[in-house]
Amino acid sequence: MKILSLITVVFVGAALIYGTLDMPKWGDPHSPASTHVSPYYLRHSLHDAATPNVVTTVLADYRGYDTLGETAVVFTAGMACILLLRAGRKRRGKGHV
Amino acid sequence: MILPLDLILLLFVFICAIAAITVRDLLSAVVILGAYSFFMCLLWTQMAAVDVAFTEASVSAGIGTVLMIGAVSKTKRRSKD
Amino acid sequence: MFEFIVSHYNYWMYIALMMVGFYAMMAKRNLVKKIIGMNIFQSAIILFYISTSVKRGATVPILEHAHEGHGAVAHAAHAVDVMQYANPLPHVLMLTAIVVMVATLGVALAVAIMIYKRYHTLEEDEIMMSIRRG
Repeated sequence: MKILSLITVVFVGAALIYGTLDMPKWGDPHSPASTHVSPYYLRHSLHDAATPNVVTTVLADYRGYDTLGETAVVFTAGMACILLLRAGRKRRGKGHV
Repeated sequence: MILPLDLILLLFVFICAIAAITVRDLLSAVVILGAYSFFMCLLWTQMAAVDVAFTEASVSAGIGTVLMIGAVSKTKRRSKD
Repeated sequence: MFEFIVSHYNYWMYIALMMVGFYAMMAKRNLVKKIIGMNIFQSAIILFYISTSVKRGATVPILEHAHEGHGAVAHAAHAVDVMQYANPLPHVLMLTAIVVMVATLGVALAVAIMIYKRYHTLEEDEIMMSIRRG
């Protein structure tokens, strides 16, 4: 099992390294990720939200629904934890009775 | 972004990752994972992502470690591999 | 060649880190070790995304000279030098991903605790033997 997973890991790693050969250079200011929509956020965030921290502006103003969805995910995870742990407690209690 | 600092931090992160999955004592593995998270946080500060860095330091290295220590203390501490 | 290695070595380090987590998820039999591997894997992916936001010579994406009166604010809206600040968009997306990562960790640990309560072990092979025995 260990040998098999080691072989799988080596193959997946080689495939991913083959994929990185086309990536833009690390720290390139003209990479596609840095030139598409983020200049808009950097230019307009102070005018639109009057907040100097651009990350906060994008998180709470431009992409507020994203953060709302994240809150829903965290709430669901918390509910799942509570339900799982309480179900175990109740079953053990019934076993004692 | 500083190249030698980036290399050293990447090396530390890698060593911490290897150590966290090879140590047999689960509590040590969890604490090494906390150190891994803090090195990751330094790496992100070095990449000018301060918001991500302090979220990682508080959420992943803080709450994550606490959750894992709680889970290990409720179950067994010894691991076979 | 040397320049290519210098500009790509950290992608390879992230892949190595990711593969460490992947190996732990597949080969380790202890459930907490598997969860640690999942954590390492997710951190490596987040590291990869953050690394796409790096610009050479750029600083933290917090605008300078923002609090110099309202007239300056309206004027500064078009005077921001984009190359001076790191790309804020991957930071935002990965901020969400870190919180989701911890939520996943919590649910996974709760499931592991439930498995321990039922089978009194965390080793995967012992759990499988116990299931086969009935």
